[in-house]
Amino acid sequence: MIYVIEDDRGWEDYYRRILKSYDLEFFHDGVAAIAAMDEVVPDLVILDILLTGPTGFAVLNEMRSYPELAKVPVLIVTSVTIRDVLARQYGVVGILDKGKMMPQELLEAVQEALA
Amino acid sequence: MESEVFGASSSAVVVAHELKGPLSLSRQLALSLEFEDSLAGAREIGRQIATTSERALRQVEDLTRVARLDDALFEMEPVNPRIVCDEVVAELWRMFRFNRRELKIDYRNKRRLVVANRQLLHSVVYNFCLNAMNYGGEELPSLVTIYDRQGKIRIDVRDYGPAVPTKVWREIKNGFVKKPVDIAMRPGSSGLGLYIAAKFANYMHGGFGLVRHRDGTSFYIDLPVSGQLSLV
Repeated sequence: MIYVIEDDRGWEDYYRRILKSYDLEFFHDGVAAIAAMDEVVPDLVILDILLTGPTGFAVLNEMRSYPELAKVPVLIVTSVTIRDVLARQYGVVGILDKGKMMPQELLEAVQEALA
Repeated sequence: MESEVFGASSSAVVVAHELKGPLSLSRQLALSLEFEDSLAGAREIGRQIATTSERALRQVEDLTRVARLDDALFEMEPVNPRIVCDEVVAELWRMFRFNRRELKIDYRNKRRLVVANRQLLHSVVYNFCLNAMNYGGEELPSLVTIYDRQGKIRIDVRDYGPAVPTKVWREIKNGFVKKPVDIAMRPGSSGLGLYIAAKFANYMHGGFGLVRHRDGTSFYIDLPVSGQLSLV
């Protein structure tokens, strides 16, 4: 199960198309996603940074504070520029720029994170 | 343009980021065509690309208009607000659908015409609606309402976003919107759309403001009623 935390719903169909062989669950804010993780711990989280409500970094902080969620791989897909150093601090498996990435890169990053 | 429009360098970053969203999505959608097997699916992607691109184009047009407000190019005239709101809803319904949202309109006004510039009023309502789309309720439609209020006609658009801080509410109420960041008060919002709406409302001598609800906000514009009778 992959949780996609993305508040711009225009991206949903895109993710479904590129990652059609995966089981995706969409969340439009971090609070709902964290709450859902109480029920099902995802295999991977695809996370936007600029969200309505708590930012992606707040979601990461929250996840890393729970032992059962601390090891869940997180792939950041965002429009904002993020320093690799900062992302490494949070232990994310990759950062993709929404403006520059190729769909194949997204697919490969997901495959790698779940390998 | 940056200094003429906003008088603040950080605002160029706001504009760039605001435009990057729809442009990135358009590019990704175009690239994703290779992953689509059906013709119907490809057509749907094409429609979403067009809709998303139109959004970016409109933002660029609006910013150009903001920069040219001082040239007094936009004449005031009697305008039927129902027709303008209908046009905006017709323009945006597909974008709302792609975003799994719904946009509705409710007419409650008896008086028919306002004094406004049709293009600018269209942009004000459009930007209110885009804001509402970003902060829609899970099951609740965004609602455009037109009604008479204290000798004017008010057009408001309701959203279900996070609460607007009191400081920002006061700044908007007192007309202190100088640049987008002044009203970038909610996560995920650059404030650009509302900044544009505020500038256009001010140009048309319309009241621009917001009403805070327990579960969201209504942004509104109040416009003077035209003495001319509507023939529509």
